[in-house]
Amino acid sequence: MTFGDVLIQQVINGVSLGAIYSLLALGFTMVYGIIELINFAHFNVFMVGSFLAMYILEALGLNGQNVILTGFPLVGVLAVALVGTMLLSGALGVLIERTALRPLRGVPGTAAMITTIGVSYILFNLVLLTIGADAFNFPNPMPKVRWGEAGVVLQLREVLVWIVAFLLMAGLNYFVRHTKMGKAMQATAQDQEAARMMGVEVDRVVMITFFLGSALAGAAGLVFGLYYNYTNFAIGYTAGLRAFTAAVLGGIGNIPGAMIGGVIIGLIESLGGQLLEVRWTDVIIFSVLVLVLVFRPSGLFGRAAVTKS
Amino acid sequence: MLEFRDVDTYYGELHVLKRVNYDIKQGEIVCLLGGNASGKSTTMKTVLGVVTPRAGSVVFDGQVINKMSTSARVKRGIAPVPEARRLFPRMTVHENLEMGAFTRNDKDGIAEDLERVYQLFPRVKERLKQQAGTLSGGEQQMVAMGRALMARPRLLCMDEPSMGLSPAFVEQVFEIIQSINKQGTTIFVVEQNASMALSIAHRGYVLQTGEVVLSGTAKSLLENEMLKKTYLGEMGH
Amino acid sequence: MVSPGTRTWSIGEALAAPFRRLSSDQQRWLILTLLAIAAVVFPLIDRNEGDIDAAANATAFAVLALGLNIVVGLAGLLDLGYAAFFAIGAYFYGVTSSWQFHPEWSSFWEPFRWLGVVVHYHANGEDVVHFTLSFWIAMPLAALVAAFFGVLFGAPTLRLRGDYLAIVTLGFGEIVPIVVRNWPTLTNGAMGLNGVQAPSLFGYSFGVTSSPYYYLGVGLIALLIFVSSRLKDSRVGRAWMAIREDEIAAGAMGVNRVKLKLLAFAVGAGFAGATGTFYVAKLQTATPDMFMFPVSVMILVMIVLGGMGSVYGVVLAAVILQLLQSWFLQDLSGWMHVLGRAVGNEWMQQIDLTQSIELIFGIILVLMMLYRRQGLIPATRATRALTLEQQTALPSRGTIDVDLRVVAPSELKPGTAMLEVEKLVKAFGGITAVKEVDLRVEPGSIVALIGPNGSGKTTLFNLITGMNAPDRGRISLLGEDITGVPSHLIVERGIARTFQNLRLFNNMTVLENILVGQHSRTKTGAVGAVLHTQTMLAEERETREHALEIVGIFGNRLMPRLNQVAKELSYANRRRLEIARALASRPKILLLDEPTAGMNPAETLELAEQIKSLRRMGLTVFLIEHKLNVVNELADKILVLDHGEKIAEGTAEQVHAKPEVLEAYLGRKVAHA
Repeated sequence: MTFGDVLIQQVINGVSLGAIYSLLALGFTMVYGIIELINFAHFNVFMVGSFLAMYILEALGLNGQNVILTGFPLVGVLAVALVGTMLLSGALGVLIERTALRPLRGVPGTAAMITTIGVSYILFNLVLLTIGADAFNFPNPMPKVRWGEAGVVLQLREVLVWIVAFLLMAGLNYFVRHTKMGKAMQATAQDQEAARMMGVEVDRVVMITFFLGSALAGAAGLVFGLYYNYTNFAIGYTAGLRAFTAAVLGGIGNIPGAMIGGVIIGLIESLGGQLLEVRWTDVIIFSVLVLVLVFRPSGLFGRAAVTKS
Repeated sequence: MLEFRDVDTYYGELHVLKRVNYDIKQGEIVCLLGGNASGKSTTMKTVLGVVTPRAGSVVFDGQVINKMSTSARVKRGIAPVPEARRLFPRMTVHENLEMGAFTRNDKDGIAEDLERVYQLFPRVKERLKQQAGTLSGGEQQMVAMGRALMARPRLLCMDEPSMGLSPAFVEQVFEIIQSINKQGTTIFVVEQNASMALSIAHRGYVLQTGEVVLSGTAKSLLENEMLKKTYLGEMGH
Repeated sequence: MVSPGTRTWSIGEALAAPFRRLSSDQQRWLILTLLAIAAVVFPLIDRNEGDIDAAANATAFAVLALGLNIVVGLAGLLDLGYAAFFAIGAYFYGVTSSWQFHPEWSSFWEPFRWLGVVVHYHANGEDVVHFTLSFWIAMPLAALVAAFFGVLFGAPTLRLRGDYLAIVTLGFGEIVPIVVRNWPTLTNGAMGLNGVQAPSLFGYSFGVTSSPYYYLGVGLIALLIFVSSRLKDSRVGRAWMAIREDEIAAGAMGVNRVKLKLLAFAVGAGFAGATGTFYVAKLQTATPDMFMFPVSVMILVMIVLGGMGSVYGVVLAAVILQLLQSWFLQDLSGWMHVLGRAVGNEWMQQIDLTQSIELIFGIILVLMMLYRRQGLIPATRATRALTLEQQTALPSRGTIDVDLRVVAPSELKPGTAMLEVEKLVKAFGGITAVKEVDLRVEPGSIVALIGPNGSGKTTLFNLITGMNAPDRGRISLLGEDITGVPSHLIVERGIARTFQNLRLFNNMTVLENILVGQHSRTKTGAVGAVLHTQTMLAEERETREHALEIVGIFGNRLMPRLNQVAKELSYANRRRLEIARALASRPKILLLDEPTAGMNPAETLELAEQIKSLRRMGLTVFLIEHKLNVVNELADKILVLDHGEKIAEGTAEQVHAKPEVLEAYLGRKVAHA
């Protein structure tokens, strides 16, 4: 393998990782855009989502990598798993918002954020205590299709990640820009009181935002499982922090920014791991987080202010 | 159409409106005058349901609406042009107008009203694709008025439409207010610029530190020396 | 049914009755003494080594919680990566007292050998340095090293909002263990340090028994309680709380936010570092996993449960959590096993509830935030009863016999203005809020600034007090240029202000608010505050006396409420308190932004009288006011702003005669009618 091959391979890997981070970052950025809350619960909604996806796939008769499907059955099974996971994860997000966060709306300071840390801990430990600490073999019906030989290899799983992420982001983009509720979300993010004066019910907008963000986190959980062939109670923390970094990098509150930010973080992870050493990846990513917040708090593509006036 | 009966409104412990009474009839332009911190904006917020009165009742169409949510009020036909306009800065002019019609679902009616807004504000039509935050203050005022009209309101509530605008533009805005009224919309306008407001209004109320100290027809208020004194604080308690 | 008027006495109440009769200070001492006795005798009664060991470990986390409480509770800086400083302290001692790190011997080390912190070790063909740093020296050194990192990590977060500060600190909290893991030559990586030297005292080695560590931990807790309490009731602690409550107002009162925030980070980190040495010495090992995010969360849970800023609450929470973990959950599991065997339930026999401690942490965080955000023992004290003296204090309306240090007219060169503004310009995103404004405020006069909404009055105040920098123009105080001087230094120069929408330190008492007002006139630092040096005590006494004098201006309006928290006051009293706080800084000129807003006519009149008497004492007053009858009554000179421009200046009559003024307010037609 030439250095160029390695580089291209790492770009392929990085974009795939980045797609997962983007899906996850969208949830952070949407919630922050609407109610200025860093939602730590999102980390583990993602983790729970990957388990939900695993159980759905198993319920569909898949077991590890033993059942291989092609053509319509493959697409059908994946679509059912995707929709099911997203609905359930979205419902989890709504449940969290209604029970733990809505009562704190309007409470100044960091109370709501501390609550999300608590919720995140509860989800994490519930899974740990009930399902256990083992890594689970994630059902994967995809045939081992690969393009390319010794040098650069592109596998079906990567293509799948890209397609799913692309479709969901395009869908979200359409929703936010072209539907009435999407516009109400934008309006609420830009001026909550004015939106209310137009007749927008802000509580409903917040609920839908949590539903969408959590549904995307669930989708990311499914994609994560299909990409790595495993899931585990601990996957939320690292992926969540990287996705959060992606959201900050893209400019928190900025939806396209979060998508691009995710890909950049994915590339930093894969290329950084290649150029430096993998064990320093997290240090690089957190340094990016700190540097962006300190020197360009509105992110690469600008928007909300994270500094005090 | 809209009535305030002995309304008391507080911000925390701060008593802002003190047993205030207004009565706005169908088809009128009524202006609410007063100096700084007299309770004008709080009146607007009470009408829209952004704040809830502690005592007294706000009556719309013969029904007490004290506890009604803002969105329900908008559906019933009250639309605001808020102070400082409050457009959605990163949405286009067209999207801002659409937001005005948020509570409506009649596509044809919305299209009709868009046309009506374009006729009233030809400048707005030229800027449809532009982000609202990049417009000049006067253009923003027009979009804000257009946005409110998109709700097809029966009562239009305007909070300081002249604020921050050049004198020439203020006259233009008030002419438009008059023509909106002629098309059948009742208008309640809060203004500091008394002469402008009274020149188009049928009746007016004057607030001083949360109390109505003067009211009457526009003409009688224009001629009333007390009005000047309220503004200059020469009227003691 | 209990008929009204009769009281039923429970045994608990009967026992508590004598306790209630003690003063709050005596109550506190009694509780402290009992706690201290309990802590000392615990290992003597409970001879179970396992219990003592658990208790000794728990002391480390209690100390950490107390340290973090200074950062989060007092200064309001939510640090989610606090375990990083714990790690830094631990590894500092771990590395310098084990065989992990032994560079080649060279003459560079000779002075250190002379100091006795290293030995020249050569055996088996090796010629290396072996560190023998004593635990008792390492502990303060580790605190210093950690404090240094506290400042280093704190500096980037200074301008960030609270939630982002949390995220950045969390990032540092992640980075430190990773660096530790990835630097095996120094730290032995993920394997962890081994054979860390146990501390010894007067030849007695602590070894591996738990009791000495336990007592050391208890001592550290006592130290931290002492330090926290002293800091809290000092100039430094009050400045921290002021930052927590309202940063902008704190700045306007002369608090240097950068310096004090960094100090809070440094102090908090220092204690974590010291605790790290203790912890690693006790365990005699250290691995990166011991310092990850869950540790930071556990400490946060202690603070949230106990009450942010509440020293005793935090200690109580640490004890509760430890009891829960090492006693209650274990026993409960045991009972479940017995029950499981009785009913033949496999799952119940296997259950280990101690595993669920983190789940409980999560539940605690959520429930406390939803239902009891102030914690078990809230930091803000309840209102105390008034003394007879306070109850009988008379309202003074107009006469003030307070010695406010003001500039005597003789000091001034004739013709020097107290405040002079020349050609001042400020634009915000294309809108010019202040346009070429010129104004003069003569010493000893009252000048009023009026104008319609949005005419730039408050912006002008913000420019004068250094909250915004002007685009052009010059501001001078007594002839001295003060353009661009930051707000916390402006107040030192002699300009104090109040705010239109009230920016009090809401969860601090009336007295504390006024004491913060004197921040720029006092000097006590953290060390003085802890040691209670003579100069500190004298200064504290003097500031308190001065505060009482200031409060006297408002007669018995505030005097009986000295120990009430500001948010409990009536609106008019909060306005008065803000003025009192500003006066406490011994200003030469006082800027009041709508001082009578929200006051009824009688209260307005009272305040107007008080403002007049301030002028009689030589204070210069510059005020924004909407109640024009007040302005007409008070002001020697009135300035009128419209659209950021000065359109009129003069006495009430002169200003009212100007058509532009009426026009600004009323519009053209009415003005000329």
